[in-house]
Amino acid sequence: MTRPRRTLAEQLGGPLPTGIEALADEHKELLGEALHAARRRQAAALATAAEGSLDYVPFFLRGAVRKAVGL
Amino acid sequence: MSEALRALEAQAEIRKLARVLGEPAERLGFLAEVPPGDIQALRERATTVLFDANVAVLRRMAAASRLLPASVLARIAEKVFGPLLCARIAGLVDAHRGVEIASHLPAPFLADVAAELDPRRASAVLAGIPTSTVGAVARELARREDWITVGRFVGHVPAEAVAASIDVLDDAAVLRVAFVLDDKSRLPAVLRLLPATRLDGVVRAAVREGLWAEAFDVLLRLEPPLAGDLAAAVAALPATDRERAAAKARALGLLDELGPARDALLS
Repeated sequence: MTRPRRTLAEQLGGPLPTGIEALADEHKELLGEALHAARRRQAAALATAAEGSLDYVPFFLRGAVRKAVGL
Repeated sequence: MSEALRALEAQAEIRKLARVLGEPAERLGFLAEVPPGDIQALRERATTVLFDANVAVLRRMAAASRLLPASVLARIAEKVFGPLLCARIAGLVDAHRGVEIASHLPAPFLADVAAELDPRRASAVLAGIPTSTVGAVARELARREDWITVGRFVGHVPAEAVAASIDVLDDAAVLRVAFVLDDKSRLPAVLRLLPATRLDGVVRAAVREGLWAEAFDVLLRLEPPLAGDLAAAVAALPATDRERAAAKARALGLLDELGPARDALLS
């Protein structure tokens, strides 16, 4: 069973601003989905960047950089 | 605030939020009736969530950056990281190092990073960027008509950097940026950086480009003597322009709130 996605308020860690709370549920869901998608894109970009960066690191430093980044 | 100004501010806030979420602004049109301050609060909290989301990995990357020369890091920033990740990591690297890396990057790329950056988190790096670079980035942002990004930075960079940015903005752009400033309490300080002759130019730009709503928003927030100086620039306009502007102010329900500018419009 898939875990239900966290609501906008849950992602933000507390009650929403009054005007946002007053929105229709579907619009709050859309905002929650958009924030979730932005987080997902960011995490994916980071994973790609971490590996891709090594191509530009001088060979003799790659081990040290890998260790520092935790790859 | 008049309903017309509130609606304009809400549109600006929707565009800012859409950028943070990576969504087209049209998709968030349902926020048009929400108070602009609530949209801004949502944006700031969403920004915090995104900047904190991968902070452990980003900190390790920032730490690893100490091992490499700035020129190599700049190449990685441009070719691999891209603007979004550079913006996320900018506040985590040592400020001196961040400035050094930025010095190896072209203004268009720095403009891309600026659009993604949370200036609250990178103020130490921003403070160290040479004013010539700030001017070049501001010029690029103006070319793209990205007033929102310029407006987001005004509250977070030193006065010299704001002055360097204003120098490269034309008079209409000053009004457009003033309208979307994140921190409108900075508005008087920003306008005081303008030479007196440019106040006339700003008012004429409002006439020429139909930016009266933006101009009224500025006028509503100024205190003497700046309010008087801008009202004098309004008084110097041809009578037909003043009549049109007064009609616009009346239509927006703002005429009686404009203080000395009201008298100038009706003179």
